[in-house]
Amino acid sequence: MRRAAGHRIGLGLIVCLLDTAPMAEPLSGEALFAVACEACHSLGPEPDHRIGPPLGGLHGRKAAGVRGFGYSPALQASGWVWTLPTTVAWLSDPDAAIPNNAMNYVNALSAEETQRLAEWLLAQPSD
Amino acid sequence: MNPLLSRRQLLLTSVVAPFANAQSIGISGPVGHKILVIGAGLAGLNAALILEQWGFDVEVVEARDRVGGRLWTLDHMPGAPEGGGNVIGSGYGRVIYRAHELDVPLRTPPSALPSDYQIGGQRIPRSDWAVADANPLPDDWREIHPERLLAKLNEDNPLLKTRAWHHVDLMAQDQPADVGLRSLGFPESAIRLINANNSYGNHLSDTSLMGLYRVLGEFGRLSGPALAVTEVTQGNMRLPEAMANRLTRPVSLNEPVLRIRQTPAGIKATLTSGRTLDADAAVIAVPLPALGQIALDLPPDRRALLKSVAYHKVVQLHCIVDEPFWEAAGWSGSWWTDGQLGRIFTRPIPDSTRHNMTIWINGDDCDRLNALDADACTDMILSALWKLVPEAKGVTSVGQLVRWTTDPFAGGAWALWKPGQAGSAHDAIRAPTGRLFFAGEHTAEAYRGMEAAMESGERAALEVMRLLA
Repeated sequence: MRRAAGHRIGLGLIVCLLDTAPMAEPLSGEALFAVACEACHSLGPEPDHRIGPPLGGLHGRKAAGVRGFGYSPALQASGWVWTLPTTVAWLSDPDAAIPNNAMNYVNALSAEETQRLAEWLLAQPSD
Repeated sequence: MNPLLSRRQLLLTSVVAPFANAQSIGISGPVGHKILVIGAGLAGLNAALILEQWGFDVEVVEARDRVGGRLWTLDHMPGAPEGGGNVIGSGYGRVIYRAHELDVPLRTPPSALPSDYQIGGQRIPRSDWAVADANPLPDDWREIHPERLLAKLNEDNPLLKTRAWHHVDLMAQDQPADVGLRSLGFPESAIRLINANNSYGNHLSDTSLMGLYRVLGEFGRLSGPALAVTEVTQGNMRLPEAMANRLTRPVSLNEPVLRIRQTPAGIKATLTSGRTLDADAAVIAVPLPALGQIALDLPPDRRALLKSVAYHKVVQLHCIVDEPFWEAAGWSGSWWTDGQLGRIFTRPIPDSTRHNMTIWINGDDCDRLNALDADACTDMILSALWKLVPEAKGVTSVGQLVRWTTDPFAGGAWALWKPGQAGSAHDAIRAPTGRLFFAGEHTAEAYRGMEAAMESGERAALEVMRLLA
């Protein structure tokens, strides 16, 4: 395997590292997006095969703002604009933010991870 | 410079920018960790793919001789019916994404034929339901068809506006479904019909009312922007097969795990074959009855909790029908019964004159069938079928008996929560312990079914990444 040799050589070192510092570095916003969001949302400008709307150029966009996408009436009526506070609130608990929305998602991220993800996401341009 | 980016992120971004692939981004800790994934169903395979994408060395072991877990396409039968998970909901974003990514085509399934009814031993044509003498419902309920009775709960569903179905406050209001339905004004005749084919509990008396609200809330939510459900064109098994084929290491089949020990720096798994595997962490993505067979370093109360979760009992007899025997008699082709046969789903085999017919029996009605050997079980179901529709005899042949409860690597079709149980148990059964992480549909928060498995694999991968990335 491509990492097997390094794994064997470095095992002792890694064991030491793990024993003294079991937690890894915090995951970046991009990593969090890739794991927790990317299956349902692209960063492109137009809807694709994914079931959620594309999220490129999100900062300052009106909620439910991608034309032709099947948003919930609740999100359409929310008047929300995607800024850091609204994005963090939405990601943290979509149901508390806008009840009866259509995104069936329960946040598995920590508060810090959610903040990091929101900051990264809002910095992404529309491709 | 974007003011939203922290200095740390800018540093990370600048460090990783030269790397074109996403594998390096966001990983600043030691790489090359080995992760053992136990179970090659959708949950384990999704966790494995995510972890491999992020630079982990992943090995997947599977007890069966195939991948897929509770997805099982009966490829040896004409029409290749699904013996396991059969429907990809329109909201199953992770399933749809993986299928698209791996070039696994999806299609709209051929519709099952409409159901007529067999209630109290009386046959009722579908169109006559509301006026039939054998319809046991009181006047103001008579127009509701049996399979639609439970949807009445959605008229006042506390979970339509939240997904906190296992929240401790809501669970405090939970009660056995039969008691709850009675208190909500459901007539006894309706409760008996719902109990006859309850897919969300083995008997309404041990079914969580909140669990029913959860299921119906999902349906209610999807009635807005819902698209059509799909299935994998060549059989749902093609998806886990494609996922397994994408992994660097082949999945090790026929390798049940005997025990897992944690050491200060990793885990050691012993397989029934005698092999031992060392890894930095393990994702255990197997149903709870299968997990109960693995010796783990778990506190006794956690182990007892794992054993306390019930699983749904399902027996299916998959048949092939050579001629549409129901047409001459004026029946629709599928049946919904309150008797031994449960439900019978018949659907045409594309580009053929033949049909797949699945007799679907669930709940405690499965007990006496599961006590029999396969031949006797099949004979008992067929005897009941010939009695219900004698015309079927001679043109109907058996393709496969599927019994999830007696399958040692499944123990049932899906996890069930007893009334009130999920308030504490749902969080507890999936909490990581040391370097052991837990996935599987029973650990999912938002979804059920295939998407629940995918969701759980994603969450477990994230937990591993937090520890080791």
